[in-house]
Amino acid sequence: MSGWHEIGSVAELEREGRVVARIGGRELGVVRDPRTGELHGLRNRCPHSGAPICFGSIVERAVGAPGRYATTGRRVLRCPWHGWEYDLETGRCVDDPRMRVAVYPVRVEAGRVFVEA
Amino acid sequence: MSTERLVDCDVHVLVEGNEDFLDYVDPGQREWFRGQGRTFGLPGYTWTHPASWFRADLEPAEGGYPASCVENVLREAVEPTGTDLAVLNPDDAITVSLMGSSYRAAAFARAHNDWLRDQWLARDPRLRGSILVPAQDPLAAAEEIRRCAEDERFVQVLMVGGSERPYGDPRYLPIFEAAAKTGLVVAIHSGGEGLGIAAPPGGAGMPTFYIEWHTIGSSGSIAAHLVSLVCHGVFERFPGLRVVLLEGGVAWLPGILWRLDTNWRALRTEVPWLERRPSEVVREHIRFTTQPLEHTDGNDELLWRMLEAAGAPEILLFASDYPHWDFDEPGHTLGRLPAEWRPKVRWENAAAVYGARLGLVPA
Repeated sequence: MSGWHEIGSVAELEREGRVVARIGGRELGVVRDPRTGELHGLRNRCPHSGAPICFGSIVERAVGAPGRYATTGRRVLRCPWHGWEYDLETGRCVDDPRMRVAVYPVRVEAGRVFVEA
Repeated sequence: MSTERLVDCDVHVLVEGNEDFLDYVDPGQREWFRGQGRTFGLPGYTWTHPASWFRADLEPAEGGYPASCVENVLREAVEPTGTDLAVLNPDDAITVSLMGSSYRAAAFARAHNDWLRDQWLARDPRLRGSILVPAQDPLAAAEEIRRCAEDERFVQVLMVGGSERPYGDPRYLPIFEAAAKTGLVVAIHSGGEGLGIAAPPGGAGMPTFYIEWHTIGSSGSIAAHLVSLVCHGVFERFPGLRVVLLEGGVAWLPGILWRLDTNWRALRTEVPWLERRPSEVVREHIRFTTQPLEHTDGNDELLWRMLEAAGAPEILLFASDYPHWDFDEPGHTLGRLPAEWRPKVRWENAAAVYGARLGLVPA
């Protein structure tokens, strides 16, 4: 059933870093970047092996040249199980673009969090 | 016909038994080497083949060893098989990098390279050489590479599977840099694991038997060097570098690459300079010799399918490993392969990876 679905409260999202809810057989979630405060809606299922990906961490994508470590500021969602990293805008696995988690628009209204899915 | 060409990428020559070798050793060190006897102070194995390292049908040369003079090698390894080009690799002398003294090792390597050039490469146009280097002193090794690289008959730098640390370690960078700058392949040949200053083979301590070493020691070091070179980003530093891995087997390769790719997705923050899947880096930069091509108990088709997943046939080069007991006869070995693989494995892949130094132009 497509449309806007309520997932949880802003208070819980700020406290836990994510909110999830089962909507029509799918588990949907919203994650909050603790550094930037940005919100991202996505399906709570890693396409690699089914992990609840909203319970992962939003981290900075590491880069470098051989023997040298650097940062880019690019934020990615790291799966809580095997550590695969996903682009927060497209949902694609950065290191295997064949893998993609569904992403959804997010809206906040009167202290409640909604995704359109 | 071009498709009938044959390049044997692993023909061993023995310095043992060659008294004239000492003439090539730096005079200041000659007496030390003479005093070490027939094996010139190379570290010895704690386990040995129960019968002989060598094919029993070969004729020893004057000094008592097979494959120790050019006439025997041409007669036994080149002419009967119609080999167009044979890449000559030292035998036990590859363990020079495991000698306790890097000064002795550097002197031995220099002498071996000059001896190989004069006594072998100069004697027949079908022969190509490997530059032996003392890996325990990478700066001396790099100097030796630059010295020998001027002779185009040397097609590669040769390192040994046994090592103090896997070869991606930055201490070894001067070797790979020198090879890349001079257009030489770096070959790593199994052997020497657990000898001299090398780490024990296999990761579980020293084995008891030769059969253990021959099963896991020789393949384990080769796999470890592959993983190390990729993880350290050696090919990102030197995009033109090509590595040939010799005599470590190939059936394990698909499994290791699947593991490495999977681990890379999960653990890449350790090696964030790896921007491509490790298996792609391997396909582009690393080649594998066929011998000893695993016997599969009737499952050859399964092996070919798995190797295709790892990049075969482009990643495979034919090697016989003459004069050893586990020699792969080219007609028999190539006949096992899928027919469409054979030209690539016989010579085309070797021509491509060794380039102008080998002197064959791929069709």
